[in-house]
Amino acid sequence: MVTERKKIRLKDISIHTDEPLITVTANDLMPLPPPLDQQEKKAPYSPLSEDQKKNYECSLDGVSALALPKPKSKEEEEKLVERFLRGLEKLLSQNDNWLFWQPLIQSLESCVRCQTCSDACPVYVSSGNQEIYRPTFKSEILRRIINKYIKKRGKVLSKLTGDDIELNWPTVARLAELAYRCTLCRRCAQSCPLGSDNGLITRELRKMFSQEMGIAPKELHESGTVQQLKVGASTGISSAAFQGMVEFMEDEIEEKWDKRIKIPVDKEGADILLIHNSGEFMSWIENPVAFAIIFEAVGLSWTLSSEIYGYEATNYGTWYDDIQFARIALKQVEVAKKLKVKRIMMGECGHAHKGLIVIADRILVDDMNFPRESFLPLLEDLVCNDKLKLDPGKNNFSVTLHDPCNFVRLMGIVEPQRRILKKICPQFREMEPHGLENYCCGGGSGFAIMNSMNFKEWRENISSRMKLKQILQTFNNVLDPGIRKYVCAPCSNCKGAIRDILSSKDLWEKHSIYYGGLVELVANAMVDMKKPFIEWEWH
Amino acid sequence: MGGLILFIFYGSILFFIIAMALRVRKCLNAPLHLHWELYKGSSIYELTEWWAKAHNTFGEKLWSMILDILFLREFYHRNRKFWYFLYPFHIGIYLLILWHGWLLVSALTTPVESAPIGDLVWGHFAAALTFIGGVGIFIKRIVDEDLRVYYPPIHYLKWMFLLITLLGGFYAVHFYFEERMPTDVMKLSLYPESAPALHVLFASVWLVYLPFSHVFQLFFRYYHYLRWDDVPNLRGSEIEIRIKEHLERPVTWSAPHIQSGKRWREVASELPQIPSPGPK
Repeated sequence: MVTERKKIRLKDISIHTDEPLITVTANDLMPLPPPLDQQEKKAPYSPLSEDQKKNYECSLDGVSALALPKPKSKEEEEKLVERFLRGLEKLLSQNDNWLFWQPLIQSLESCVRCQTCSDACPVYVSSGNQEIYRPTFKSEILRRIINKYIKKRGKVLSKLTGDDIELNWPTVARLAELAYRCTLCRRCAQSCPLGSDNGLITRELRKMFSQEMGIAPKELHESGTVQQLKVGASTGISSAAFQGMVEFMEDEIEEKWDKRIKIPVDKEGADILLIHNSGEFMSWIENPVAFAIIFEAVGLSWTLSSEIYGYEATNYGTWYDDIQFARIALKQVEVAKKLKVKRIMMGECGHAHKGLIVIADRILVDDMNFPRESFLPLLEDLVCNDKLKLDPGKNNFSVTLHDPCNFVRLMGIVEPQRRILKKICPQFREMEPHGLENYCCGGGSGFAIMNSMNFKEWRENISSRMKLKQILQTFNNVLDPGIRKYVCAPCSNCKGAIRDILSSKDLWEKHSIYYGGLVELVANAMVDMKKPFIEWEWH
Repeated sequence: MGGLILFIFYGSILFFIIAMALRVRKCLNAPLHLHWELYKGSSIYELTEWWAKAHNTFGEKLWSMILDILFLREFYHRNRKFWYFLYPFHIGIYLLILWHGWLLVSALTTPVESAPIGDLVWGHFAAALTFIGGVGIFIKRIVDEDLRVYYPPIHYLKWMFLLITLLGGFYAVHFYFEERMPTDVMKLSLYPESAPALHVLFASVWLVYLPFSHVFQLFFRYYHYLRWDDVPNLRGSEIEIRIKEHLERPVTWSAPHIQSGKRWREVASELPQIPSPGPK
């Protein structure tokens, strides 16, 4: 029996109740194509335990991304609401928030509430159009709070411009969680005819919570940026451990492909300092290995760095905190300066691209304004101008490309990866939609590494659902497990999210859908590789 | 009465100009924000050594803006049901603006008595188109629940006032052109009838409102680095000078990891002294 869903209104955000405003059920979810077209019976995420419910805020949708403790008293609630209001004032102040003031104000003022953005949002659509996930839901609430509590326009004008939101602790707590139900893919912003950016509003809300109230997901803050600033990498890898990994990579290359390569580390004056997401060393070491094989094959002047901060490309501050973002970006540039390299090159990590190459451009001055670029133009040059000897026949299996949002919509790097794949993969096929209109993997803005309580289930079954649908549609005529298929995801976080959705639905075991990066395909096509580079072993 | 109407009308034009100038100044004086663009296609980041490449996208932006404004392309592609009403409304508005410009030119160059009938058809057609589109949007905003719950009451009042202005304008122009012209021209110009007077008053209200409306936000989408701002921060450039000024601003945020009170430059380049959470 299908029960009618309760309609959620904007003012419901303020309701005093521990019960979630919504709970997404299996019936709500966007249907998937074959072989997953049978109606799911299992709820998309498990309910929190009674103990968790008692201690943590989960009254938005029954999910906890933040593990936000419940205030112990009314006084504490009031204090937190007051801090929220002070933070909001700072967010709207040119002096306090010069870094994003202009686009934030533009986004808050320009929305005409046409809801064009709603259908562009993969979370909203995948969840069966849950009102709270609509891109304009939290933005409109924020607008009304600003009208009522910051601008204080008088009774009549406030009433006319919308003053129905009560600012209390439930509102603040739900907004904090809601800021982590959007992957910042900014597909909504791309679709907005007026240029209002709900992704930015979400990001600014996250920032306000972090910078003013000290509220952020543990995986992004304590185990993320704080750990990176303390030990050098968000994965916790130390310099010594990194050097050990490089030795392991060299041995691995010799053992598997019978090549002895000396991977350059801390080579002063090299042309290129290549920085990988350190998650690659932990989970997909074949990716930095492929880079090393390719770069050495063409004799590039390049190096890795074992210096603290020099072997980690990630910068989680990009998603939630300007200060942490700036600190990490500066540390990364300092390493390059010290090594006297000519430029920094980012490996397969989307947000690190956008963060250090694009966003940080407006905080780096004098000799800190250091040349930074993507690996993609260089790789395109090597592949498409025949600087590498490649045999596309070695990649004669179905390949599709997942576009990391940070490369395409957020940076305008759209074509090099396609030209590479068309050159080396005879069975390359595009997902629909792709390029600038791509869908997020569902792991964007930190979601790929956030696993608090039932958040991982929410991600796998809701925010990644559209990507899963796309992958299945793309391979719909080659689902036979005897046919190998490869989802190319040239971004560490995207790879993590795609690994999790393929794994949760057993798509490797049952349908041979594999995943990996871009350089792995290039290395796999290299003529002088005696054995295939891609090993087709699930990890 | 005539003098008062003229005072309000010319006053509203002056207000419009001043308010727009202030708004533009506010934008120009806004702090230089960090790069946060969206792209419509390939950018300079597809090139090696992109910082040394040409970054002139002014022509592309201008052309794109003209097409967007003329055809409302984004609505056409992404929200067709809305576009069906929005487009006639906007085309009507554009024609009305042009018509008013043409009337001004005609008034300066030809005797009022010889105003061609085509002018009247132009005006009526434009007003009708705007009205039909406006009524469509108004109704859609009422019947579509998704649109209604997010739309504050003030915007419904705005639409009602707009439709009344259009009806009033239609009546005033029709009355003015067809029933009083050309026999009593002097009397009308000095002592306007209530319908034209009221219409001029309504038009004045719109002139006062326009600088605060959504309409002009559209321009900022293109010219405030929201899209395709590939201009890099080069050493010694104007951009770098502005960034240096911003980096001297104090950091005021209060969370423990921030180190509030210091300047941006210091906070970003020093490692935070984060209080230890103590033994676990």
